[in-house]
Amino acid sequence: MVAVLLIIVPLGLAFAMPLFNFVSKRIAAYLPIAAMVCNLILSILLLPSVMENTRIVILGGLPPPLGIHLVAGPLGVGLSGLISLVGLAVSIYAWGYIKQGAQDKYHALYLLLLSGATGAVLTGDLFNLFVFYEILCISSYALVAYLGDRNGVESAVKYLIQGSVGSGLILVGIAILYGMFGTLNMAQIAIHIDNVDSPALFLALVLLVTGFGVEAAIFPLNAWLPDAHSSAPSSISAILSGIAIKVGIYAVARVLFTIFGVAVVFQYVLLLGLATLLIGEICAFSQDNIKRMLAYSSVGQVGLIVFAMCIATPDGVGAGLLQLVSHALSKAVLFLGVGYLVARSGSMSLSSLNGIGKRMPVVCFACVVAAFSLVGLPPFVGFAGKFLIVRAALAGKSIFFTVLIGIVFLATVVEGAYFFRMVQTLYFKDAKRQIEYKKVPASASIPIMALVVFIVALGVYPDVLLPYLKSAAADLLNKAGYIKEVLG
Amino acid sequence: MFHQSTYFVGCVGLMIVGLYTMLTKKNLIKVIIGLSLFETGIYLLLVVVGYIQGATAPIFSRTTGSPAEMVDPTPQALVLTAIVIGVAVLALALSLTIRLHEHYGTLNLRKIRGLKW
Repeated sequence: MVAVLLIIVPLGLAFAMPLFNFVSKRIAAYLPIAAMVCNLILSILLLPSVMENTRIVILGGLPPPLGIHLVAGPLGVGLSGLISLVGLAVSIYAWGYIKQGAQDKYHALYLLLLSGATGAVLTGDLFNLFVFYEILCISSYALVAYLGDRNGVESAVKYLIQGSVGSGLILVGIAILYGMFGTLNMAQIAIHIDNVDSPALFLALVLLVTGFGVEAAIFPLNAWLPDAHSSAPSSISAILSGIAIKVGIYAVARVLFTIFGVAVVFQYVLLLGLATLLIGEICAFSQDNIKRMLAYSSVGQVGLIVFAMCIATPDGVGAGLLQLVSHALSKAVLFLGVGYLVARSGSMSLSSLNGIGKRMPVVCFACVVAAFSLVGLPPFVGFAGKFLIVRAALAGKSIFFTVLIGIVFLATVVEGAYFFRMVQTLYFKDAKRQIEYKKVPASASIPIMALVVFIVALGVYPDVLLPYLKSAAADLLNKAGYIKEVLG
Repeated sequence: MFHQSTYFVGCVGLMIVGLYTMLTKKNLIKVIIGLSLFETGIYLLLVVVGYIQGATAPIFSRTTGSPAEMVDPTPQALVLTAIVIGVAVLALALSLTIRLHEHYGTLNLRKIRGLKW
């Protein structure tokens, strides 16, 4: 039953925010930190026991095929741990960073976003997945427009319209599945789906993958991402890039592998992932605005994760999940760090950051580590992720995958080019004008450095994660095992 | 009265009208109206999925009613949830529209392009 607290604590605190606000205006910023510490501890405590056998949490007193239930498996609890880790870092950062506007509303929406993300990765009911996904999406639309400036509002409108059409398509997909099977339980649908062969089923698959693909920013559904991620406040960019798109990827993977499990489709999604990777990296290369560059780099990384997962072997999915962890940590560090670089230099243009590395050494060092990790240099966690992806893709010894891995390397070279350009700008160019030096507060440097420690530690000892990745991959791929665990 | 497939055609038609409106109109308010139409089509589709010809609403108002004479209540519960979500999205969209009008002085989407598409 403990797994319920992972959702209840942030959700409850979000709605209790006005009450706390009566007591003191200053409490608001501490609530997300408290909720995330609680979630992180719970996830770490739960993880060893759910590794052995998945726990089913029945909500509302009706057993699985009828009622809504949570599936606390290695994947769900592992992802909720990742969400709370990144969420904790970002909420400490936001404590010092968000100083304007209605702060209590910012923190309430932020808690809602995190509870939506946690709920989506834990639930075992298709419609419940949709509801949590909508909680995540609606709070992120509002948070992108939090500053109320021109770019923020415009990108939030774009994000909202594209996101709502995506959610509508998901709902149509759910309606089709319910009409065919009369159930919303993912395990129950997975049982019956093998006995039916109908074009409507394919339509449902396409609608669900397209709908969740909007949040995951899989090409050609990625138009909102560079605008939204670059116009949002930096703490929100970090959580959107680090967590929100990962929930989209999780939902796509759950639908593809656990519910449908049709091997024919994997190759098409794999090619879509590859296209996303190439287009994201090439667009990132041509950006001058540093936050837009990072946002396009997120598109590219999403492509790589989808590519790795759609290899559809346990090794491939495991490698994709490691890359997912690596991207969540690295991109959170980059957006959080760049947030202060941009705030100090007063412009998002890359050339305005010339030589800033000497003035803000801690933040720039963290950004460089995270950038190297994303490119895939050892000894950072990104190296382990990319290495495992290449190994998994070449394991089958097919020429098809060898060619595709060549394209992945090409994209990595492009990625390296723009990240090294960023490093060159930060350290090796002379500043055109004197920037007034103001120290970065500890509330920013401590969470950033903590995430950097994780990037390096996991890069040096990736073995720590491997057993978890293995059982998480099995959680996604082993359809019969999932059905057995849920329905007994 | 009608065959059940007629209802499906109507719902999908409404969704297509909504999508067409969203794709072709330049005024942001009209785009949001299109979104609303699209969502209404989906709500009706969900209700039709659980509809049984000649059955009544799943409420125990009459003592004679048996479950077999009632339509499936689950999709109706889903629609209620979806409508609530839709209201939240529409309210947020319209409040963002007000903000956008403050910044640009227009709702013509061809003129609102501060960011590159």
